[in-house]
Amino acid sequence: MALRAEPPDGGWGWMVVLAAFFQSALVFGVLRSFGVFFVEFVAVFEEPAARVSWIASIGIAVQQFGSPVGSALSTKFGPRPVVMTGGILAALGMLLASFATSLTQLYLSIGLLSGSGWALTFTPTLACLSRYFSRRRSLATGLALTGVGLSSFAFAPLFQLLLSHYAWRGALLLVSALSLHLVACGALLRPLSLAEDPATGGPRAQVTSLLQHGPFLRYTVALTLINTGYFIPYVHLVAHLQDLSWDPLPAAFLLSVAAMSDLVGRVASGWLGDTIPGPVARLLMLWTTLTGISLALFPVARAPTALVVLAVVYGFTSGALTPVAFSVLPELVGTGRIYCALGLVQMVESIGGLLGAPLSGYLRDVTGNYTASFVVAGAFLLAGSGVLITLPHFFCVSAPTSRPQDLVKEALDTKVPLPLEGLGED
Amino acid sequence: MSALPRPRRFGAPPPWLLLSLCLLAAARVSLADSNPQDSPSTSLPVREEMMAKYSNLSLESHNISLTEHSSMPVEKNITLEKPSNIELVCQFTKSGDLNSVNVTWRKDDELLENNYLVNATGNILYTQYKFTIIDNKQLGSYSCVFEEGKEQRGTFNFKVPEIHGKSKPLITYVGDSTVLVCKCQDCFPSRWTWYSSNGSVQIPVDAQMNNKYVVNGTYANETRLKITQLSEEDGGSYWCQAVFQLGESEEQIELVVLSYLVPLKPFLAIVAEVVLLVAIILLCEMYTQKKKKHPDHGKEFEQIEHLKSDDSNGIENNAPRHRKNESMGQ
Repeated sequence: MALRAEPPDGGWGWMVVLAAFFQSALVFGVLRSFGVFFVEFVAVFEEPAARVSWIASIGIAVQQFGSPVGSALSTKFGPRPVVMTGGILAALGMLLASFATSLTQLYLSIGLLSGSGWALTFTPTLACLSRYFSRRRSLATGLALTGVGLSSFAFAPLFQLLLSHYAWRGALLLVSALSLHLVACGALLRPLSLAEDPATGGPRAQVTSLLQHGPFLRYTVALTLINTGYFIPYVHLVAHLQDLSWDPLPAAFLLSVAAMSDLVGRVASGWLGDTIPGPVARLLMLWTTLTGISLALFPVARAPTALVVLAVVYGFTSGALTPVAFSVLPELVGTGRIYCALGLVQMVESIGGLLGAPLSGYLRDVTGNYTASFVVAGAFLLAGSGVLITLPHFFCVSAPTSRPQDLVKEALDTKVPLPLEGLGED
Repeated sequence: MSALPRPRRFGAPPPWLLLSLCLLAAARVSLADSNPQDSPSTSLPVREEMMAKYSNLSLESHNISLTEHSSMPVEKNITLEKPSNIELVCQFTKSGDLNSVNVTWRKDDELLENNYLVNATGNILYTQYKFTIIDNKQLGSYSCVFEEGKEQRGTFNFKVPEIHGKSKPLITYVGDSTVLVCKCQDCFPSRWTWYSSNGSVQIPVDAQMNNKYVVNGTYANETRLKITQLSEEDGGSYWCQAVFQLGESEEQIELVVLSYLVPLKPFLAIVAEVVLLVAIILLCEMYTQKKKKHPDHGKEFEQIEHLKSDDSNGIENNAPRHRKNESMGQ
């Protein structure tokens, strides 16, 4: 198949957007709605809630730490076989979980097996998406990531329905069948060869070159800082509202409002990221700063209207920063190295994510309320946005986004050995 | 026990009666805010005997306030597990003349005739009823009724504590084991019993037999029935019963036992659907790739045809004739 000079920016790319949409839904939507199962597990296995919640924590940790593996394999074999294998693994994990007789078996089946399945699916899909688009990359990523939000709305009641009809074993069996659709999504990821692929080499060469790439390393640091602060409100907002003596129903309504503005933010930011010229990193900095400020303001707001407004602002800005965060990477390292780059970034930023929630909990225990933890979360976000300023071309008025020809030249300059193996696709 | 034969009306008795009542009142053990115009409603020795017998029981005091404008009936629900002394107090606030108000106590609409006091202070009419609940028959609704044309009623409902099980059916699978839990809020039943239903008959669950049923509870206010090796016949209704000194309380739990085939069918259906989707996607792709290759051949063929027709007309004419000859030849 002839090498393309440019990403197609449409055509089959929209099918990849569809595939990525369902992938986000089936990976993160399932993870987020798993809380419904936890109540059952606590009752059936007679274990405390803290131990049961380790299932999701292990799953997320394996998904993020395993991302480089998924990326390396995708560079070598192309995304399609890797994602399809990942889908089978994820479904297999859930299937085995439905036969579990102890909590440890759930840790291994859902946490380890499904987690590795998710590691092989999510990152390669998004990286593949970045290769299919250049001018409309942010919009495509934003649209794909709406899958996370929409599926949380749909899956929570669906899982409740399954639980009430089939109890947890049957429900897990059907969730396994649902997760099998990841394989179908993987089948949609048609291989794409771009101009800079031959120059970028196999996975090991790519990783070495990435680790010597200054802007990439700075960007990883920035994303780690952002990730530390990003997840805190999801975990602690409800508890904070309870501290302010809100009833459960209005608190749930507030979360739904934030989730909806999160969805709108993703699409809007995706569209905005494509229309505004210049590096997308500037938009990322804008959204990150705004998210940080809105987080820091949470403890100050007491009146219900102020809290609702803040929730809308926080939802919008935090949703807005997600597609842009993924779009910055191809601009920095080029679409040839995108698989490995995304995998490495996910792995490192997961450290931030894993530290963020316990740190916030610790601050809460020490100070007695959530003021300190919200302010610290905001501070991390602002620090991350500060690091973003150091990225190249940041202050140029209309610096062009990296063209493939430039990236080929850059890759050749870094003296990557010409590949004997793994062109990856075709 | 002697008692006044009719409901008491608050009025001013003649002076000679006042004197004799004062003497009686001074001689007896006084209630806290008795008025010289009140007279005791029971004879002294019997009352003391009663109080001595039940003095080791706990005392429960309950209070209801009413006004003349209360539109809704005022009720208070009280749970009672063991025999107790009860003291019920009703207060009625009314502007104007309190004399015309008729005060009665009733149990389940049956008039009660003894053991109650009536007192008036300013605008408030105050009445107190003391009694003892020893057995199940004495539970029920006790009301104080203030009649003055229309009726104002305050009701105290005495019941044994309710127990709570699961309101939704419990779903399990064949071969699994499950635990049915019943608990009540702050109660200490003397005994818990489990029943299973066989049609409409309740059969007590035999916990001694062959390890299938195990009954235990970590706290006094809950009970757990663990059933192992479930089979489809184990499905149905189960009752947990808490036995108190003053009665019993029951709750029903529904157990559903499914076989593995029940979720397996939708599972296999969805797996088949996914396999079909993957096959369709891959076949479509192979088809479009083949189409891409064929148009290349097709284009070459057309180009050659055009060249041929440009060169000479004869060849084109010859070709169909050749074919015709061939076909005729065959």
